[in-house]
Amino acid sequence: MKRGPIGWIALIAGLAVLAALVLVPIYLVASSSFKLPREIINRVPSWFPKSFTLQHYQKLLATSDFPTYFGNSVLVSSVSALLTVVLATLAGYAFFRLEFRGRDALYRAVMVAYAFPSIVILIPIYLMFAKAGLIDTRAALVIVNVTFALPFSIWMMRTFFASLPKELEEAASIDGAGLAATAWYILIPLLGPGLASIAIFAFVSAWTEYLFASVLILSDAKRTLPVGLSGIIGQYQIDWGLLLAGATLSVVPVVIFFAFVGRWFVSGLTEGAVK
Amino acid sequence: MTKSGIAGRNDGRIALYLLAAPLGLLAATLILPIVSAVNISLHDIRVIGSDGPFSGADNYVAILSDAVFWRSLGNSVVWVLGNSLVQTVLALTAALVLNQKFPGVKIARIWIILTWIIPTVVVVIIWRWLLSPSGGMINPLLIQLGIIDRPVGFFANGPMAFSTLIAINSWRWFPFVAVMLLAALQRIPGDLYEAAAVDGAGPLRRFREITWPLLQPTLLVLTVMGTLLSFNVFDVIWLLTAGGPAGATQTLPVLIYETAFKAYRMGEAAAMSVIASLLMIGLALALLKMLAPKETGR
Amino acid sequence: MLNKRLALSGAFTLSLLATVPAFAVTEVKLWHMEQPPQRVQRIQDLIDAFNAANPDIKVSQDPQSWGEVYAKVPAAMAAGNAPDILFAIPDFTTVIRKAGQLDSVADFVKELDGKHHFIPATVEPYSYDGGVWAVPLYNMSLNYWYHKKAFADAGVDVPKTWTEWKAATEKLSKDGVVGTGLPGNKQLYTDQTTYAIMVNNGASEIFNADGTLAFDNPKTVESYAFYKDLYKFTSPDAANWTWGEAEACFASDTCASILQFSVISTYDQQGGGDAADLGIAAVPHADGEADSATIAYSNAAIILSKDAAKRDAAKKFIAYLLEPETYGKFLTMEPGLFLPVTEDGAKATTFWSDPLVVKYKSQVEQMIANSHNGKLFGFTDGRVFPAIGPISAQNILAETLQKVVINGEDPAAAVKAGQARMVEATK
Repeated sequence: MKRGPIGWIALIAGLAVLAALVLVPIYLVASSSFKLPREIINRVPSWFPKSFTLQHYQKLLATSDFPTYFGNSVLVSSVSALLTVVLATLAGYAFFRLEFRGRDALYRAVMVAYAFPSIVILIPIYLMFAKAGLIDTRAALVIVNVTFALPFSIWMMRTFFASLPKELEEAASIDGAGLAATAWYILIPLLGPGLASIAIFAFVSAWTEYLFASVLILSDAKRTLPVGLSGIIGQYQIDWGLLLAGATLSVVPVVIFFAFVGRWFVSGLTEGAVK
Repeated sequence: MTKSGIAGRNDGRIALYLLAAPLGLLAATLILPIVSAVNISLHDIRVIGSDGPFSGADNYVAILSDAVFWRSLGNSVVWVLGNSLVQTVLALTAALVLNQKFPGVKIARIWIILTWIIPTVVVVIIWRWLLSPSGGMINPLLIQLGIIDRPVGFFANGPMAFSTLIAINSWRWFPFVAVMLLAALQRIPGDLYEAAAVDGAGPLRRFREITWPLLQPTLLVLTVMGTLLSFNVFDVIWLLTAGGPAGATQTLPVLIYETAFKAYRMGEAAAMSVIASLLMIGLALALLKMLAPKETGR
Repeated sequence: MLNKRLALSGAFTLSLLATVPAFAVTEVKLWHMEQPPQRVQRIQDLIDAFNAANPDIKVSQDPQSWGEVYAKVPAAMAAGNAPDILFAIPDFTTVIRKAGQLDSVADFVKELDGKHHFIPATVEPYSYDGGVWAVPLYNMSLNYWYHKKAFADAGVDVPKTWTEWKAATEKLSKDGVVGTGLPGNKQLYTDQTTYAIMVNNGASEIFNADGTLAFDNPKTVESYAFYKDLYKFTSPDAANWTWGEAEACFASDTCASILQFSVISTYDQQGGGDAADLGIAAVPHADGEADSATIAYSNAAIILSKDAAKRDAAKKFIAYLLEPETYGKFLTMEPGLFLPVTEDGAKATTFWSDPLVVKYKSQVEQMIANSHNGKLFGFTDGRVFPAIGPISAQNILAETLQKVVINGEDPAAAVKAGQARMVEATK
């Protein structure tokens, strides 16, 4: 389809608004994290840094446990993502490929689980985990993160399975391949982009989770990034330079990670039904 | 176990194996705690972990007759509606733009998601700083543009604080909705548009007659899902306003947290949780009607 | 499922192994809310020195945040993984006492008192119900901080009375400058500033002698009305302020004056750090009052552990902190914020030789002088009302203030409703 001049103007305007919305705040944070403290809190802000310093980054890395928090977040998020993919695939196959009594009721129950306000289970979970000796363990966070990511991931599976022609599996099973072989050689590769997008969804959910991480983890050495950062925010003093450096450092790695896997997230979702 | 699968497999047995782990996890970490919450709500329990006498429906009576509970419920409704509206408008705009073909669209489609991958705590830091009158960038920008003539307090009063929170929360979530909408847009066959263009339909008519109707199911699902998601939002509100000023941004989750951990009335907090859960289940059931696994039947 | 069981039993064995002490080392876990990195670092230095000198004890710290600790400590106590030592403030101590049985440390405090001589006002908030529930460690009091140059340029004298304060605030508030920065958040900082105003109008008592509430009285109402007068000139984002925003406002010269415990380290790092320009005074008092008063917090260490060996080790560590040599280093983890609670601590060379204390010596001396007129709501005149716990936890002083300054309610009506809230909260 051809785009007229009005179309182009609308497109460019739309893109400009989106870019301003998404990129400008992030630019301001990142660029200001290199300014001297005096320039950061100046009443007349500078859009382009007039000073340059690495002191905030030095302070962050030297005096706080930022690297520890970061490592914990990577660990918890990766394991959560992996487990979510495995469990969602199992459930997805059962729900969207098999026929059994009570399937619809079970599926419905899983989706209802998504509706519970997470704050509701905070207190009981704490007491249960305490009995199981899970308080102050990273495993506790993985369990909670997988629980919250799972229903939505199973729902996403629905589209991915729908886009896979059943005939493929049928052909494979006529060829004598067992269920496991069918799954491994046919289903998993074809579901690839879908699984990747579920993994990314679960990873990001775990990466950003705050409430449970703040209550279930007691010791500093096991804190995740969001909780550790909120500690650095400090209640008594605000060191904007330190905070902006922390904000920048916590976003950069995810951006790099996303630079490699990001296309899977979008294409996993968009290409599903096109096939 | 009445029907058999593709090659005479026993679907029921296989399903049992496959579902044991995922459903076992959900049962242990969701159902059990909820049963426990219902139990707590029937007792006069104060501090977490302590015991209290059975008090029947007392907690429910107490909160249902408390104006603060109703105000928070009202705030939650406004919160959910506000977020749905803002996010849908932003996301739809973004999805429509990104559904076009132009140089760099592939990169744009990936990076639109940027704000969603930022941890909430960092989102809070970013905006607390940007909006602060001492050192923040937004006030001077608005003054330069001539929109305001002196610094504004973005959290100074109820309506301002509420709108600011909705804007910030939407800023983080709209890209996610946009990607889901983009996915739905891409599923609309291109030949529909071409046929319509041949018939002489302009862009507006094409949107009204093709895009909009075909997008509606996804939009509906996302709206209901977004409702559930944004109802649950706690950290952004807690970290930015803690429910203030004067309770104006105190939504139900914030009230539940405060009742449990600041006022130390665990029983009442659990009762609020149960009521909130029932409300959400009602919504979720509506969602299910649209999400039933239709494609899987044989 | 089998795997799960295996994993569980594995975890169980591991946890059994972990509880068997390799050597007879007593582990002591410390929680505190001094989260800024430099404070954590200083505490760690002291812990390291202590652990090195006491090979049979291993102290470790986990900083927590005030925002979560009200939820976390009772939960951890219920779950049996509470810390052995907890730094707390008086009203939080009443909450902890409710959540679990604390053992009195009266004998220990007496022993320390014999050595270091506690300032009585710092022990009082922890002495009630026939025991002493925590060991005072550091004191804080709220002060009036101002920019000398801004005052001189505007031709304004440092206010001593409310009339002068109001006039000064009006005169200073122009060209984007905030005359007096005051918070309006529903948060502990606003509780503190509100009470600092109340106490300067003779409204320091929230309870009557018999424990009934005395909050709703004309003096309180006047105080709220005065706060509202000043609040008109505060920063537009004051409804969202915690301590940090106030300091930032002051350090950036946007606020000509603020009420704050200490601004010294922020002022020094971010605000230019000209010691000669940093003014400090007592919080101005109502015209009818003779002298200024302020709010003061005695921070203290609660020993939560029930285990005799851990309790002894915890006491040893606390005693170590209060030794003048270490105590000065401990207090200067945030130079110029924490004030000594003991007489020999007030003379400690390690305190007075800290570079920032040297640089801002006159200011620190003024802080100590101001702190002598310090009071704390619920803990006034040697009487303690543990019912203050829930009132303070829910920030009802600040909540009442929000009704006045943000919703524009009549102060008398808001204070009346505030008292009703307090009655409800303490039920």
